[in-house]
Amino acid sequence: MAYADLLPEEMRKQLIQRIAEGETAREQAIDVMTALQNHFGHMSDQAMLVASELLAMTPLELEELATFYNFIYRQPVGKYVIHVCDSAVCWMHGHESLMDHLLSRLKIRLGETTEDGLFTVLPVCCLGYCDHAPAMLVNRHIHGELTREKIDRILTRLAEEPHLPTGMK
Amino acid sequence: MPRIVIDGLEIEVPQETKVIDAAERLGIMIPRFCYLKSLGAVGACRVCAVKFLQGPFKGVQMSCMVDVQDGMVVSTTDDEAVAFRRQVIEWLMLNHPHDCPVCDEGGQCLLQDETVSGGHGIRRYKGSKRTYRNQYLGEFIAHEMNRCIHCYRCSRFYQEYCGYRDLGVMQIADRVYFGRFQNGQLESPFSGNLVDLCPTGVYTDIPARYKVRSWDLDRSPSVCIHCSLGCNTVANARYRTVWRVEGRYNEALGSEFICDRGRFGFGYTNQPSRPRQARVDSRSVALSDALKSAAEKLSRIHAASGPRAIACVGSARNSLETQTMLKSLCDGLGLPAPCFFVNSQTEKAVKRAVASLDERVAVSLNGVAHGDFIVAVGVDPLNEAPMLALAMRQAHRRGALLVILDPRPSFLPAPHVHLGFAPGELNGVLGSLVGKALETGDEGKLPPLHEDFLKSLPLESLFKAPVNHGEELDVVLSALQKSRRPVLVCGSEIVRENTPSLCADLALLMRSAKGQCGLFYVLPGANAFGGALLSGSEESSFMEVVESMEQGCTKALVLVESDPFLQFPHKDRLKRAMEKLELLIVLDHLPSLSAEMSHVFLPTSTLFEVDSTFINQEGRVQWSRAVHEGGIPMEQWTEGNHPPRAHGAIIPGQDFKAAGKVLEEIARNMGASGEVSLSDPRFRPGKGASPLEGAPGDRPGDGMRLIPRESSREPFSAREEYFTFGEDAGDSLELLLVEALFGTEELSAHSPALEKVEPKPHMWMHEQDASMLGFSQDDVIAMDLEGGVVEVRLKVSPSMARGVLVLPRHHRLQWQKFRDISVRVPHDRMRKS
Ligand code: SF4
Ligand code: SF4
Ligand code: FES
Repeated sequence: MAYADLLPEEMRKQLIQRIAEGETAREQAIDVMTALQNHFGHMSDQAMLVASELLAMTPLELEELATFYNFIYRQPVGKYVIHVCDSAVCWMHGHESLMDHLLSRLKIRLGETTEDGLFTVLPVCCLGYCDHAPAMLVNRHIHGELTREKIDRILTRLAEEPHLPTGMK
Repeated sequence: MPRIVIDGLEIEVPQETKVIDAAERLGIMIPRFCYLKSLGAVGACRVCAVKFLQGPFKGVQMSCMVDVQDGMVVSTTDDEAVAFRRQVIEWLMLNHPHDCPVCDEGGQCLLQDETVSGGHGIRRYKGSKRTYRNQYLGEFIAHEMNRCIHCYRCSRFYQEYCGYRDLGVMQIADRVYFGRFQNGQLESPFSGNLVDLCPTGVYTDIPARYKVRSWDLDRSPSVCIHCSLGCNTVANARYRTVWRVEGRYNEALGSEFICDRGRFGFGYTNQPSRPRQARVDSRSVALSDALKSAAEKLSRIHAASGPRAIACVGSARNSLETQTMLKSLCDGLGLPAPCFFVNSQTEKAVKRAVASLDERVAVSLNGVAHGDFIVAVGVDPLNEAPMLALAMRQAHRRGALLVILDPRPSFLPAPHVHLGFAPGELNGVLGSLVGKALETGDEGKLPPLHEDFLKSLPLESLFKAPVNHGEELDVVLSALQKSRRPVLVCGSEIVRENTPSLCADLALLMRSAKGQCGLFYVLPGANAFGGALLSGSEESSFMEVVESMEQGCTKALVLVESDPFLQFPHKDRLKRAMEKLELLIVLDHLPSLSAEMSHVFLPTSTLFEVDSTFINQEGRVQWSRAVHEGGIPMEQWTEGNHPPRAHGAIIPGQDFKAAGKVLEEIARNMGASGEVSLSDPRFRPGKGASPLEGAPGDRPGDGMRLIPRESSREPFSAREEYFTFGEDAGDSLELLLVEALFGTEELSAHSPALEKVEPKPHMWMHEQDASMLGFSQDDVIAMDLEGGVVEVRLKVSPSMARGVLVLPRHHRLQWQKFRDISVRVPHDRMRKS
């Protein structure tokens, strides 16, 4: 396993074990990629090849999943990945102006990462938080009923508390 | 069968016919992008909308998603349906570039056609368009992703239909992208079909790219002759160059797809190295003079040494016209019957196969795809008959179990059980498998003859021997017991000569037990079937011709589109024998050592230049129409300048004839009475006229099977001989000379497109045999043989048979140094070099 050797022994064993427990390797694909992403920070081409070896799926088959699924990052992302909900109910509740506010505050465009490496902003299909629209997800934390002020508060807090969990943890 | 009315026309169609297909039968072509009969329906593109006026559905529906039911009344011209389709096309065109004039698909583009016919002529969208980066997909196919309309045909074909896993669909929403993970050669040997099935210009054929426009091309229905399946094709030519070959639907073969060998293998016809000049004793002469001279020289030998001093050798790549003419030349002049096979082992197997095939059991490729249990014996589908591998995959997709009983490593693009047994064990394993399955089955009483045969099958003993296959055999056995439509696929290259007859007997047996059983042979070459029908008795063989040349008895040899050096095991021996000849006449369109050695060389036409007939491995006669008259391709003649600056009355390089015509003239010049008889009873399946005689227009589009209702061979007669096997492997390996996907087949070996992808010469050994000999993967092994040393790279496999050495007859490898075709290579003759 040329690529899988890039992983720490322990982790590799765990993943192999986990894959073996499933009925098919394929059903573990997202979980394995998520674990690798947590380890490497994002799913680089090399990380994709590691996953491909572990799962006995072709890199293309994994790429099909990785690029379809919003939470696998094929490019480096910031410490905080902000997924802004991009669906009808949020649109009705001021999604557009909030998104403008968020991006102009961070001085980036959608899909980009701030220069300090702290924030990446991505759109995401419905977060299922419509009753609290408009909503966004920061790493694993959901925030609803967003307003400009609320967004400012969240960003300030995150910028000041660099000890918060990183990546997908 | 349900009836439907479409646009006021009524039609009755089989159950489960889609409305879109019913309309097509009426001559109404409903627009479609995603639907392709062979791939099935997904309803992805929404452009096939029609309006259902009466029946179980109402309103606008997708005609590819609805099965015809009684009482349906459908309109394709209803305003609502027309508006719907126009809107869908307009959406699809939002992102599509506006540059048809520089797109290689232009003129043969479904999107172009449907856009215009759908009524979306004027662009309203003013925004900017989505763009993508293209990928390098290898030497066959160019990629222009901006043209994609997201119909999903390519990814479905590539992954679901073919089972390859390196091209697919990535991304989401309006970024959806069809391609590979990274740049690189597509792995599927069926990749060329993407060119045909993509409705727009995303995938275009590199050899033809930017060379021609479709409206400038001459096109004709043709047949692939790169293996024995005879897939149907369309040949495309312009300016004396064949540019492109496409697939063509044939119902019996079950699809419109072809393999990349068939698609890109045509280069031999255009090659600068193609011999186009008639020669007599190394002098260039006109074909007519060479013909006269050939006839004179032959007559002289005929008169001086008698007819038995002349031998004629054809091949499995001859058209039936050529083979028939050769046969009648031999008959007319009293010569020994022509030989069409260099390898006499194969010849015997082929003749047995041809003699065994009849309507009770024969199935076509589509029949294989519908079997519920396929066992392939002594055949390597992907390498010998690539589309067979795809048919087997379709059977798997419908739930069949696939079993490959073959010594070679197996590369089927579908899950299968591979039982790696040596050729000498195949009969026994197969016999016991069928015997076991039927013995314990509950099929009821068999006719006495069948019952006897069943009892004669070796049962238990064989199941003990292959310890390592124990579990798999159980799975196979129970699937065979349950099977209602088993199909036996049988090869002819590496099997024992009686394996084809055994398969036929087993097929008959299973038929009487299960009501139905298919038999499908794979033969060595496009017209091996014709060769078997027309060659002499089983006893005469090319080896005898060689011996007779050595003894000086055969003084003249006529080689008709045949280069025995490619197949004969010992090159130097053959060369010495041929050097003794007083006269060597070669008719061919391929360059070869035989052609170089010839005293008289007569250039012949290729498939693309003359109407010709071939009989595929199931006995199906198929006709190919000439696409052009040939001649030196304009590109070569003008050295890249276009149009030609010099003009003349003669087309350069056209002084050739169909081999059959050449033979006919030789026969006439020699005063032979031989009349070509395509009305020969051999070519008449029933009582009617020979299918070969009708006018092209009268011929059935799917070809015509030329096999008897019941074979005249006596079934179950060779019981004892079937199962005498088991020569001990000892301290040697059995040599198996085999076919590979690319690099061994004679015609496509001259194709520049395929040369780029063919693998390097190699051979295979079981990993335990290799390690016992101290070899490992990628070692270069030197074999010290009768005719000298052959050096070749080793590959090892854990699943192939022990005791065999599998050597693809790669055209770049001078392997012809063996004493005989069926030999064993002693261990001590092999070493690491
Ligand atoms: S590349 Fe061609 S075949 Fe594939 S989805 Fe796009 S338009 Fe369809
Ligand atoms: S499978 Fe055989 S006949 Fe069919 S396209 Fe390929 S080489 Fe030609
Ligand atoms: S052809 Fe029917 S939806 Fe595409």
